[in-house]
Amino acid sequence: MTTKYPRHLLGSLLVATLVLSACGSDDDAGGDNTDTTADTTADTTTNTAGDGDSVDAGGSITVYTGRHYGIEPVFEEFTADTGIEVRFTTGNDPELRERLIAEGANTPADVVMTADAANIELSAEADVLASVDSDVLTETIPEELRSEDNEWFALSQRARVIIASTERVENPPTTYAGIGDPEWDGKLCLRPSTHPYTQSLVASLIIAEGEERATEIVQSWVDNDPLYINSDTDIYNAVADGECDVAIANTYYLGRLLTEDPDFPVEIVWPEQDGRGAHVNVSTAAVTANAPNPEGARALIEWLATDGQKQFADANFEYPVDPDVEPNDIVAGFGEFSADLAAVRQLGANQPAAVEVLSATGYE
Amino acid sequence: MTSTITDAADLVPHEPGAPTTGNGGARTSTVSVIGQQARSWTTTAAISAVAIAVSVPVLVIVWSIVEPSTEVWEELWATRLPGMIRDTATLLATVLAGTLVLGTSLAWLVTAYQFPGRRVLGWLLVTPLAIPGYVLGFVWLDTLQEPLGARSVRSIWLCALVLTITLYPYVYLFARAAFREQSQRSIDVARSLGCSRTQAFWRVALPMARPSLAGGAALVGMEVLTDVGTVRLFNVSTIADGVLRVWFGTGNRNAAAELSVLLIGVAIVLIAMERLARGRARFTQSGSRTGLHVERLRGGRAIIASTIGWGVFTIAVALPVYRLITWAIEARRTDQTATVAGDLGFHLMSSLRVAAVATLTCLALGLLLVAGLNRRRRSGALLARMATLGYTVPGPVVAIGVLVTLAAIDRLGWLPDGWLLIGSFIGLIYALVVRFLAVAYQGIESSVGKVSPSVVASARTLGAGRFRVATRVELPLAGAGIIAAAVLVAIDTLKELPITLILRPFGTETLPIWVWQATSESLWVQAAVPSLAIVAVGMVLVAALLWALEHGAETVS
Repeated sequence: MTTKYPRHLLGSLLVATLVLSACGSDDDAGGDNTDTTADTTADTTTNTAGDGDSVDAGGSITVYTGRHYGIEPVFEEFTADTGIEVRFTTGNDPELRERLIAEGANTPADVVMTADAANIELSAEADVLASVDSDVLTETIPEELRSEDNEWFALSQRARVIIASTERVENPPTTYAGIGDPEWDGKLCLRPSTHPYTQSLVASLIIAEGEERATEIVQSWVDNDPLYINSDTDIYNAVADGECDVAIANTYYLGRLLTEDPDFPVEIVWPEQDGRGAHVNVSTAAVTANAPNPEGARALIEWLATDGQKQFADANFEYPVDPDVEPNDIVAGFGEFSADLAAVRQLGANQPAAVEVLSATGYE
Repeated sequence: MTSTITDAADLVPHEPGAPTTGNGGARTSTVSVIGQQARSWTTTAAISAVAIAVSVPVLVIVWSIVEPSTEVWEELWATRLPGMIRDTATLLATVLAGTLVLGTSLAWLVTAYQFPGRRVLGWLLVTPLAIPGYVLGFVWLDTLQEPLGARSVRSIWLCALVLTITLYPYVYLFARAAFREQSQRSIDVARSLGCSRTQAFWRVALPMARPSLAGGAALVGMEVLTDVGTVRLFNVSTIADGVLRVWFGTGNRNAAAELSVLLIGVAIVLIAMERLARGRARFTQSGSRTGLHVERLRGGRAIIASTIGWGVFTIAVALPVYRLITWAIEARRTDQTATVAGDLGFHLMSSLRVAAVATLTCLALGLLLVAGLNRRRRSGALLARMATLGYTVPGPVVAIGVLVTLAAIDRLGWLPDGWLLIGSFIGLIYALVVRFLAVAYQGIESSVGKVSPSVVASARTLGAGRFRVATRVELPLAGAGIIAAAVLVAIDTLKELPITLILRPFGTETLPIWVWQATSESLWVQAAVPSLAIVAVGMVLVAALLWALEHGAETVS
């Protein structure tokens, strides 16, 4: 008896729900329509291929990308060049990896892009990436910047360097160990250990110097009572404002800040130039193991490594992976440097150890 | 829980025959109609299916403790775990204390006193609910950075302050409703026995409001425990943050899941404390209300009262919104909005669609559970507990549980060719229901539970059938509480980020996703427009919430 009224109410609620969801979205159960295509604004819906059947000639590809800043114009350019449409979804690298792994053979993703080498390596270990045999890619991208069996390819590099105030620091440290010098006690800014940039930097220390020495170095940073700031832009601003004198940050944020204020009082110091070179991390792309359109996927990565290479790197003030492609003018203005390319492939494997070192030293 | 906000009521000593407060639970069941009857096995099966379906993603996570990652735990215990527990406890205690003091005193101020601006403040003080903690966090972080310095601005105390001013409205709403439900009679009795007005507050009004305050505080506690957006801005390392730290840092999903089980444990302790704080008190409504006499404040005291109210509103809403507006203007002037796909209208529609469908689904399922579960039975209580587990788990963890669950279903291949649940609209709604069904369920349940047994008994005595009692008496009396519960779910889903981020289908880009796109690159200016849009929609919802509450008060009295 009493169940009658809720049934009544439930019925109308459910109808309302269905109507709402139906009028809003026509792919309730993951159909194949292309809502966020690169060549249209996202609010127009272009229905391409029907469910299941992949690509005719141009076709379309689906991208999961952990690198999201300024990515859309690049995809638009690709579509204009090749006729292949791109639909993409953005997210955090680890979450997109979990989604890819969970989807398995059912994944709609053809390409996965990350902002970080360790995350793509973890995907490779989970066997969700395909090995790609492409002369274009092996010729353009240096060997150190792609995985051993060509499961992933770096598309741009960013250097994590020492930055220092131009107003208060005369002799800035030139090695990562140098910022642990007591001279910088209370004058150091670092990014928290939760961030992949910090983890991969420490992974590179482990690769170059061994876990024991890496622990000592990180401990010396921690002993300097650093100010932890979870934003590279804010780290730059903190150095400019006198909150700290030296810090570790990525170069490309300075690119952005200098476009706003050419007199920004912070300089880049290239670390480890007498040794292995500055720590670099990479933005990467890979074809997924179960890609519905592997040819289209490969076309995108090849295009990003060649015709789209400059635009891809410039979009974020990063360094191209193709040594023949010039970086953006502002970035070129930071000067030439040698990079620790040898570590790139091993960053993923050493990340868990890096996290342990960070925890053991009490790095926040 | 929400219901306490709703109905006009009078605190009545229970009539003979109606249950007394002491053992109210068991005996109420003989009277109240909703949710008590024996029913056909199909209904039971349907309800059980809902409860189980909603709890599976969380149980998938809980299952991980079967094979504990001992090594990870040893390392965690030696390094970060003590700090995480300390930060979680500190934050929880501070925010609970802060929201209880702020929410209760503001509620008492606008209920018991008359001063300039009282009426409009009564409404405005609810509006912080419309501003997501992660937005308020970055606005205040950036605003206070200059005067306080980058180092001291990143502190657990400031984080607690930000969480307090975003979350106090939960306590405020509950407290205000409780005070409004109180009859002047009880205060008069206290006064006639020699209490001053202040003493009457401490000795009568406050103790009588205790169950409601506990309900509000429990919501606050859950929000603090599962927050992963605000804490990280302030370098506060809570257990919820640790879950993401372990999972993202080492890729060890199992260890991360185990850590979330610890979080569920803390949540269960919190719920037990709420029960304890409520005590065995059951205050129900009789259907009439006299209300408190309002004391008019004059001169200096009136100015102080106004200043307090407007001060809180300024800090929690006016200043942050002003800051967002200046950023939005700057973004427009310097053309800095081009980093996302699609315009404001597109994001807005996505958000509205997701929030509307998720809310209606939560509401429908909440009603089904409340109507169908016999919570007096152990099995019913268990199913209710299972269906509301998701609220005790941080969003990203729920998302992974759902991901694993949906993937398993997709692999069975039962759906038509080419159809997948992962990345579908249905999948997203499912995950949001897993996370927020508790909010709807608790709200509906306590609304219905607050209808006085004597009212129901009278209706039955007068010959009304059970169906008639349910539709004509219980639901209308609880109606406003049900709407209020729905609005709370809508506000929660509108602000939701981590689940939507992981599970959204192509072509669904909500406003919080836009905020994330910008804030993950520290581009505060670019986050202003979508943040303002969230606040605007949130304000409309808050207005709806208040309307529901006022309306509820009218229908009953």
